[in-house]
Amino acid sequence: MSRERNWQDLIAVSELETGDVTPVRLGTRELAVYDTADGITVSMARCTHGAANLCDGYFDGRHIECPLHQGLFDARTGEALAAPARVKLRMIEARVSGAMVQVLL
Amino acid sequence: MTQNVLTPITQALNDGVLTRSELKALMQRSDRPAFIHLALWLLLLTGTGTLIWMSMGTFWIWPAMFLHGIVLVHHFSLQHECVHYTVFRTRWLNDVAGNICGFVIMLPHRFFRYEHCDHHTYTQLHGEDPEMIPLPSSLGGYLWYISSIPYWRTKFTELGRHILGRLSADEMRFIPKEEHRTVFLEARIMALGYITILVACIAFNWWAPVWYWWLPVILGEPVMRAIRMTEHVGRPMTRDMKENTRTNLVSWPIRFLCWNMNYHAEHHYASSVPYHALPKLHRILDGYIHVEKRGYLGAHIDILRQLTGRTPRVDQTAGAPQ
Repeated sequence: MSRERNWQDLIAVSELETGDVTPVRLGTRELAVYDTADGITVSMARCTHGAANLCDGYFDGRHIECPLHQGLFDARTGEALAAPARVKLRMIEARVSGAMVQVLL
Repeated sequence: MTQNVLTPITQALNDGVLTRSELKALMQRSDRPAFIHLALWLLLLTGTGTLIWMSMGTFWIWPAMFLHGIVLVHHFSLQHECVHYTVFRTRWLNDVAGNICGFVIMLPHRFFRYEHCDHHTYTQLHGEDPEMIPLPSSLGGYLWYISSIPYWRTKFTELGRHILGRLSADEMRFIPKEEHRTVFLEARIMALGYITILVACIAFNWWAPVWYWWLPVILGEPVMRAIRMTEHVGRPMTRDMKENTRTNLVSWPIRFLCWNMNYHAEHHYASSVPYHALPKLHRILDGYIHVEKRGYLGAHIDILRQLTGRTPRVDQTAGAPQ
């Protein structure tokens, strides 16, 4: 049985780290909110390789680098771009509504 | 999904040792410091190479080759930073520089990247850290390791194994199946490169690679072995990064040579911080991590005291693997 998904408030846009990645917890979920050159995107916060928290990694506006092994992901699509990362990041559908970043969960 | 991991930097942030804004500022990349460093690096190599040229045919060629070799083996330090993509802002430049360094010192870059990933995950954990250098059991074992004979034996065996398309059980653990062929291919390309140069030496009676490269690397490697020992050997065999890694305070020329790798505990805490920002990170983490103020010499005094029984060995303290 599929559960109905709803838009949920995640974080105020004003609380985001400008041009960077912001860690946000939603219930038990650890999420990463990226202020990318192409808009706000959201992914699960853990690296698909070593499970380190990507929010503590280097973000250049498009790519997020894992702080543990420097694997690379596209923060807009979740694609794994460089070893040792191979599995795509799980992206969460997101939008900006008013002053809030919302996610569809 | 792997179990969530508490990385050292997340731990340091949680402990309030540094702020997110400090970390983010330190992680900013730039090509400029690396290009300046590299230009001086090439100048230094030219200088030490000139000493070999000037002393050719005399006894002084041996100290000259040793000096040149010390610089050459420090390509490891540059390659190590390239493995972390912390030399150049432009990511592919790290791959290019890392592969060149790897060719200079016979350390295939892709293989090293995977091995080094596990070193960061399992630092100083017996049986799990693939780069772990055990605390020698005796003074003889200490000198044997520094001689580099066991190192070269391992490296040649490793390269030969990969050329033949084989991996050891440990390598199977840290190299994903999808990358096996890449590791074999880079070993074969590397070997082909060396063989081509050797054939050229014989065919053209041109021995420059021997005098300016291979012999100096062999002469210099014991220095690199001694330096590598200072990073973790003799430190507790625990997951705690505050304890298991040693930062060594050394002079500016040594820091230049090792691309700030002496700030090793800082590097393990935040391996995404570029090499040029490690001194700043050191000022923030000082007091939180283990620092050997006497530098490399102090680290070796610590190691020697343990293996001569003057202080307890870290591998014989409670909780250490036997």
